[in-house]
Amino acid sequence: MRIYVTGYGVISSVGENSEENLLALRSEKTGIKQGKKTYTERFKVGEIHWSNDELVQRFNLTQHASRTAILGMIAAKEAFNGHLLDPEIKTGLISGTSVGGMDVSEIAYKDFLSGESDDLNVYKNHPSGTTSEQIAKELGIDGYVNTISTACSSAANSIMLGARMLLSGQLDRAVVGGTDGLSQFTIAGFRSLMIFDEEWCRPFDETRKGINLGEGAGFLVLETEETIKKTGKKPLAILAGWGNASDAYHQTASSPEGYGATLAMKSALSVAGLKPDDIDYINAHGTATPNNDLSESHGIKTVFGSSIPPFSSTKSYTGHTLAASGGIEAVFAILALNKGLLLPNLNFKQAIEETGLVPVKSYSEGNDIKHILSNSFGFGGNNSTIILSKV
Amino acid sequence: MKILAHSYVCPKGTFLNGKLVYDTAEEENPLKSAYQQLGVEYPKFYKMDVLSKMAFIGTEILLPFFPKDADLENDLQLIFANSSASLNTDNLFVESYEQLKTPSPSLFVYTLPNIVTGELCIRHKWYGENCFFVEETFNPLHFSEWSQIALNKGNNSCLCAWVEAKTNGEQECFLFLLTNSEDGGNSIERELSTLIKQYRNE
Amino acid sequence: MSDLKENLKAQIIEQLNLEDLTPADIQDDAPLFGDQGLGLDSIDALEFIVLLDSNYGIKIADPSEGKEIFHSVNTLADYISKHQ
Repeated sequence: MRIYVTGYGVISSVGENSEENLLALRSEKTGIKQGKKTYTERFKVGEIHWSNDELVQRFNLTQHASRTAILGMIAAKEAFNGHLLDPEIKTGLISGTSVGGMDVSEIAYKDFLSGESDDLNVYKNHPSGTTSEQIAKELGIDGYVNTISTACSSAANSIMLGARMLLSGQLDRAVVGGTDGLSQFTIAGFRSLMIFDEEWCRPFDETRKGINLGEGAGFLVLETEETIKKTGKKPLAILAGWGNASDAYHQTASSPEGYGATLAMKSALSVAGLKPDDIDYINAHGTATPNNDLSESHGIKTVFGSSIPPFSSTKSYTGHTLAASGGIEAVFAILALNKGLLLPNLNFKQAIEETGLVPVKSYSEGNDIKHILSNSFGFGGNNSTIILSKV
Repeated sequence: MKILAHSYVCPKGTFLNGKLVYDTAEEENPLKSAYQQLGVEYPKFYKMDVLSKMAFIGTEILLPFFPKDADLENDLQLIFANSSASLNTDNLFVESYEQLKTPSPSLFVYTLPNIVTGELCIRHKWYGENCFFVEETFNPLHFSEWSQIALNKGNNSCLCAWVEAKTNGEQECFLFLLTNSEDGGNSIERELSTLIKQYRNE
Repeated sequence: MSDLKENLKAQIIEQLNLEDLTPADIQDDAPLFGDQGLGLDSIDALEFIVLLDSNYGIKIADPSEGKEIFHSVNTLADYISKHQ
């Protein structure tokens, strides 16, 4: 049974919807800039410049919520636009997030300590699960709602779980993806791990030092063949394969030889029934941390041998949007499939000495692209791969 | 299904298939002493939390009983459970940032119970599935059901454990290795209940 | 110098929660990282950076510098005495 994508939506620092994101990708314009908010102004971040209130107004949202929930609502609404709720079609929502409502909790906590406010209701926005409930409510989905928090592979794992729920007949349609707002917590966290670059991030470059953080959300609508017969929706892409694997190496780091990445890519290829040669473009995880890019490069070399397809990391456009990245990059993959795009890996100059891999350096369209592999790797060796194919 | 071997680690001592192998009852630091008696060089042991330490020792002594002809790298399933998750380490982590004012990354990594199965996979290069359940008490029926599912899926064997470190200081790790038996075998639930009772009363 | 080394050992044990070890278990010249010695890894290197900052006021901006500095108690003590 095939799983089809019948809707997609994205918001990131390069655009508020998929059309704007596509324009920015085309013009090789990064969304990473000096931050504008009190907790981002010292850093280069992929920030969406509107405040929470402004976003609620601009997108006619019905709920005031945390940044993570708001961004999720915006992308999920775009994806679900034109889809109708129908009691005959069991519809679920699975959303990935790593910080949940952290941004509002941080503000409320300061106000609470200074005695400015003792409103504890704000913390109702904090749990990751609440952000998913709020997104589901905005779409009117009241059935199955689930939240996945496996760090940076969260959205990819949500997409994977959605596909499996569809295959097992537990859902007919699933809205899947991920969302994360910028917060002081994640900035401080990555700085303390010393994998946070104060300059522009350089994925797959020998001189890479770490990530630029970003924020955003990306969602897909998945339907089975049977559901499409009822909804009459046009398939925009096929979700052909998925895989998740750990590499039994370290509690937080990936193995230098990329064993987990290799396993995830191989298992996605096997679910899709494809050979490595069939893949036309890889949207890499490529966070620009020394550990990830080395490990992923080795994984790619192991899986694809001497004929490595064009690959790049779009984190140099959006920053690393953590739990949202797999959703945002799935949307980028669908845009690339349908327009034959190869997306450039901005800021790349010098190949990693140990692997010598050179990513896509400039934008092109009209390429013959049938299958795209997209990687999302989380802390703890939680490695996920999805494969999207042209209808 | 049958039990191939079992071990039990607690402050009093380490037991293999019902027999005491390392007596640590008089030791000030029982787990360190058991590790030293074990004689394995794995300095990472010292960094582990109590749950991982007990499971590490209990697993090392079970190794000779693992099926020799199986692809354990891929076909061994780990099924672990306890009742208080990683509460012991969670509390230590809270202390680290309340008292020392620096949240400790090396404690933080142990604030999840399933890091125990992760440590064992890292040590022995097991790439199969693993899971860690949290439930009120040791429930032999659940272990038997979960193992049957895993074995039916084509796994060769299951390494199971009830590994508990309560905040009141009670510590125990009961490990048992299960595999399919040719004759279909008897129910292992009663056997598991009896074994854990015997170990607890030793 | 030998006082510094003894202090360092105690601080390493505390910072890394190696409660089963005593300072006597750590040799001055034994490698702290890798499969020999203490078996420490990249996450522990961050703990060393915190340790140097909070106990000795020494800041290390680039974790890759740590490799040589954190090799053993001897190299650590050397670095501290030169940079304090």
